[in-house]
Amino acid sequence: MVAVAAVEPDAQLMLRVRDGDAASFALLLEKHRAPVIHFLYRMVQNQAVADELAQEVFLRVYRARASYEPTAKFTTWLFRIAMHLALNSLRDGRSERGQESLDEEMPDSSGRQVPDRRPTVEQRLVHRVKLDEVRRAIQGLSEKQRAAVLMHKYQELEYSQIARVLSCSESAVKSLLFRAYETLRARLAHLA
Amino acid sequence: MECPVQRRENADLLLAYCARRLDPERAAVLERHMRVCPACQAFGESQQAVWAALDLWEAIPVSEDFDRRLYTRLSRAERADFWSRVVRPWFPLPFRRALPLAVASAIVMVAFLVQSPTSAPGPLQVESVDPEQVERVLDDLDMLRQLNVAPRSEAAPPQAM
Repeated sequence: MVAVAAVEPDAQLMLRVRDGDAASFALLLEKHRAPVIHFLYRMVQNQAVADELAQEVFLRVYRARASYEPTAKFTTWLFRIAMHLALNSLRDGRSERGQESLDEEMPDSSGRQVPDRRPTVEQRLVHRVKLDEVRRAIQGLSEKQRAAVLMHKYQELEYSQIARVLSCSESAVKSLLFRAYETLRARLAHLA
Repeated sequence: MECPVQRRENADLLLAYCARRLDPERAAVLERHMRVCPACQAFGESQQAVWAALDLWEAIPVSEDFDRRLYTRLSRAERADFWSRVVRPWFPLPFRRALPLAVASAIVMVAFLVQSPTSAPGPLQVESVDPEQVERVLDDLDMLRQLNVAPRSEAAPPQAM
């Protein structure tokens, strides 16, 4: 059994959840809700499905509280659950059935901006085209490469954490990322 | 330093540098190398371009009722867990596994019992019989037997002489 004092803060919170402290769960939810949703959204590329999967992630975390042991970082465990759910969803084709078009996804942020700094129609179109290319490039990666890139780039997970989430060695993760970025460089380098 | 592009195992140095995750000391060494190595310079530039392109993909807003929906599901799950904890000690695992089969069998039995009264024969009804009526029926049968014999003898083909 790992001493609680030696455990990272999130794992300590989870241990308190295990002991029945609902407030600690609320704190974990507050901290990790957005990163989990964003990771799932970029994995499945569908907002509604990502939202639903994120609910399932936290539901599973809560239901597994009794058997929780801080053997790894809390985020590693959390993203492992999220990744499995995302992969299952992709294999079910759930997210493809409801694939969002880029137009639907673009939030209209004009209301929040100062009128004279509002992007022109042309700028918005260019942004949309670029974003579409990024999404397609990410979608073109294999599921494992995609998960590795998203965890590395957006979630800023360490190689060791990504390795644990993907159940492979650190060197395999480095190789996976190297090949994934190679593909992305070929497809996206012209956007600079 | 050994060129990271030439030595694959050092390539993560370039990735870490472009992700701004390299410690200042190693970053300075790599920058010195990149100034004299066109391959690493090109790698670095294209990787920075990818990094910038990926930054275009902004995060989505979290739905406002996310927590409310989650807590509703959690309390529902709690109730389900409570009932499973209550029920589990009373029904051992083999019984729980056989339960769906038992329920299905019970449904079939009930359906059979509901259907059966319409198709099953009703209770036997014994009518009282008048002895005179029996006698009359027997006479009728005797008469019919005689009538039956008579036409047959008439219809018989003539015997050859």
